[in-house]
Amino acid sequence: MTTYDESKFLSVKDLNVTYKSGEDIVYAVNGVSFDLAKGSTLGLVGETGAGKTTIAKAILRILPDHSTRSCTGSVIFKGQEISSIKNEEMQKIRGAEISMVFQDPMTALNPTMTVVDQIAEGLIIHQGMTKEQGREAAIKMLETVGISGDRADEYPHQFSGGMKQRVVIAMALACNPELLIADEPTTALDVTIQAQVLELINELKVKQNTAMILITHDLGIVAETCDNVAVVYAGEVVEMGNLEEIYDNPKHPYTHGLFGAIPDISKDVERLSPVDGLPPDPSALPKGCYFSPRCPRATEECHSRHPELIHLEGSHFVRCIEVEKEGK
Amino acid sequence: MGRYILKRLIQMIPILLIVAILIFLLMSFVPGDPVQIILGDQATEMQIEEARHNLGLDKPFVQRLVDYLVGILHLDFGKSYLLGTPVSQELLTRFPRTLLIALLCIVFTVIFGIPIGIRCALRADKLEDRVWMFVTLLLSSMPGFWLALMLVLLFSVRLGWLPSNGIGGWKYFVLPVFANSLGSLAGIARQTRASMLEVIRSDFVTTARSKGLSERDITWKHALPNAMIPIITILGARFGMLLGGTTITESVFSIPGIGLYMINGINNRDYPIVQGCVIYIAFTFSIMMLITDLIYAFVDPRIKAQYAGPAKAKKKAEATA
Amino acid sequence: MAKDKVKNEAVTESTEIDYAAKAKRNKPGSLPYIWRHIRQNPLAMGSLVIIIALFILSFLSPYIMKYSFSKISMRDQYALPNSEHLLGCDEVGRDILSRILYGAKYTMSIGFASTAISAAIGIVLGAVAGYFGGWVDGLIMRFLDIFQSFPGILLAILISTVLGPGFEKVILALGVSGAPGYARMMRASILTVRGSEYIEAAQSINCSTARIIRKHIIPNAISPLIIQIAQGIAAAGLMASALSFLGFGVQAPTPEWGSMLSSARNFIRDYPHMCIFPGIFIMITVLAYNLVGDAIRDALDPRLRD
Repeated sequence: MTTYDESKFLSVKDLNVTYKSGEDIVYAVNGVSFDLAKGSTLGLVGETGAGKTTIAKAILRILPDHSTRSCTGSVIFKGQEISSIKNEEMQKIRGAEISMVFQDPMTALNPTMTVVDQIAEGLIIHQGMTKEQGREAAIKMLETVGISGDRADEYPHQFSGGMKQRVVIAMALACNPELLIADEPTTALDVTIQAQVLELINELKVKQNTAMILITHDLGIVAETCDNVAVVYAGEVVEMGNLEEIYDNPKHPYTHGLFGAIPDISKDVERLSPVDGLPPDPSALPKGCYFSPRCPRATEECHSRHPELIHLEGSHFVRCIEVEKEGK
Repeated sequence: MGRYILKRLIQMIPILLIVAILIFLLMSFVPGDPVQIILGDQATEMQIEEARHNLGLDKPFVQRLVDYLVGILHLDFGKSYLLGTPVSQELLTRFPRTLLIALLCIVFTVIFGIPIGIRCALRADKLEDRVWMFVTLLLSSMPGFWLALMLVLLFSVRLGWLPSNGIGGWKYFVLPVFANSLGSLAGIARQTRASMLEVIRSDFVTTARSKGLSERDITWKHALPNAMIPIITILGARFGMLLGGTTITESVFSIPGIGLYMINGINNRDYPIVQGCVIYIAFTFSIMMLITDLIYAFVDPRIKAQYAGPAKAKKKAEATA
Repeated sequence: MAKDKVKNEAVTESTEIDYAAKAKRNKPGSLPYIWRHIRQNPLAMGSLVIIIALFILSFLSPYIMKYSFSKISMRDQYALPNSEHLLGCDEVGRDILSRILYGAKYTMSIGFASTAISAAIGIVLGAVAGYFGGWVDGLIMRFLDIFQSFPGILLAILISTVLGPGFEKVILALGVSGAPGYARMMRASILTVRGSEYIEAAQSINCSTARIIRKHIIPNAISPLIIQIAQGIAAAGLMASALSFLGFGVQAPTPEWGSMLSSARNFIRDYPHMCIFPGIFIMITVLAYNLVGDAIRDALDPRLRD
């Protein structure tokens, strides 16, 4: 079990997730595949509702029971297929080897439990610590994220948004995970605190050689933090590659749109620029390419045939009929 | 916390005083003359006059009210017109019976209602959940007194296992407690389920799951304490009501508790009894609401913070800033 | 205080989600919307049919039943259910089925009418308290505190003691004793809506107070109220039968179901059928009200949907 290809530290293959909403079926994730090397960082970028959070939750197998209709595909972590192991086995991995930082710090913490208890919980389960040891380690962890140990016994409502997010991060990092999934860890925060939190994640990541999947809207953060980027649209990866490939040579019209057609990594591209039109309704996806209704370059074929993800060069992949034609 | 309790207790005084005045006023509007009821139809004019004088009913209204209020301050609720016994003493004799039934009922409600609710929430929309939800809906659609009668019919009349009325050993309490709790048990089960479902689907439960907690720990350590917050209020109000006398049950099973005392008082136009019961009920209900709020604060730290008082909250705010 | 806070939050949440739903399907609070939801729910539909059928039968019963609800027949005293008298006869030989059907309209309409009164009083009081705030709010809330320092059933008993027994008086007693709950809810809704920006916007273009309440506040505060009303009818029905049972409500010889049970309880040892059937009818009716109420709640409260 210990031997595996280090470039395939985490390997997601053909992940599909559907939700039910009333009588409608919501196609949230449609055939997503990617690999993540040990210690590297993958940025998942895309609009709200593109299915990024669902991908993250599907990897950890924490999709909401009541609304999830199906979840198929395989997730291989360190050579082990974790998408099919028993839930009890999965519990040993969650929080210990793979952990997650959630998007909204306001609701991610249990309001009736002190922050130190919430951090210590994972340590007690995964590292067999006693209550006292867990508490001590949790306080240390709090101080690592810049919160005074005096406030360990306070409740989440006594903390500001930024501090809550630090608690969430402390919780995720408490057991030195090998893979961290950070779901927009800075979106809910003030600009000044954003930088601090990000620096903190980066520091801890380097110190512990943690691999990371970073879900974000912020292209500045991607440029600073990520090795690879996957652009997600309507539950699909539409373009994927390393930082240079995506920033210097974006191929997909959607990626172009996102980057505001400034393909220069040295220039500041802080935010995703808005792309004209609205994302498709995930319960009624268009027939051909999902992006075709918004695509400035769409042709007849784009509206009728769904494109495959094609390999360009190096680690660069794209899903676009026009690019396919150019290559030929 | 101590200051908060004191403040609440002080706030209760004007409410209870107004309740006393209102009920006194209200009783004076009730059709039917108590003296007539005590003496019966054959009484002469003279006898009625005398009885009026003896009961103090010939004094002016305002003076009677003032006398009554002064009496209350000395915990004297007056004497029953009909029996001549002091109301406060009768209340004290009856209180332990009502308290015992109330306690048994609330315990029964909690130990069955809450687990059923949790179980259903964890198996939402499965067959077991649906069956329980139908049974509890049926139970909460039954009139309590009818359920009581049906239990009497089955267990006393047909099977002869349990006594159908009066008080005595433990056997006498089985039917009243059952009859009195099944409805609220069903209600609590349904509300626990709804509350649990809402909590189970909240973000912090997903966080707990992402930490690798077992489903059991998630349910008991994270979901349940949060789901219990609204249930506590409902249970508190229910217990307060029970302490006020389980009017209907006491009536069906002829249990000499406070509820039956009041009903008899009303039927006999025995105003001191009615007034005494009403003030007692308002008092116990308010106390129960206070206790509920305190338990609430114990479970929900957000509310505890509100009670800490403005001074402390301000200090906290400064410290955070 | 604590409870108010929590209620407030709950209301905020549900109205917020309402806006999201509003964008998807138009007017989730509207009657056609609720109706569509009920139609999709077979249990609620069945319940509605039972309620309406009982009502109609109640008015038709004098014409379709073989025996009058009030016809005394000593020969049939305590008769057990038989082919002549399907549900048997009572202590003076009156046909129980006739009585139950005739009495349906009393028991069933008390629930409706008293809930309507409660809601009307409560909405007005709550709206005034919530909209004007200040001392008006303080006065109304203290008043409600006093009312709510009693369990509802005792309040109803006391009020009907003063009013005396009778059909209309029970409705009034139950109506008044149920009002504080609606008032609190209305107030909480208004407080949340009042703080929002579109009310400021309306004020800035010189909308009159009455118009703001009617056009802006009530439509937005209405969902939780409809839910409360829909579920309140069942509770009021149960309470009404309890009042009659204790002798404070509708009284014999009117065949209201609670009062039928009140007299039948004395014969439970020997003639239990007199007790069983009226109770079953109360249960069916309240169950039907509850099922319809739940369907309405499901239609209006998106948090409970999957």
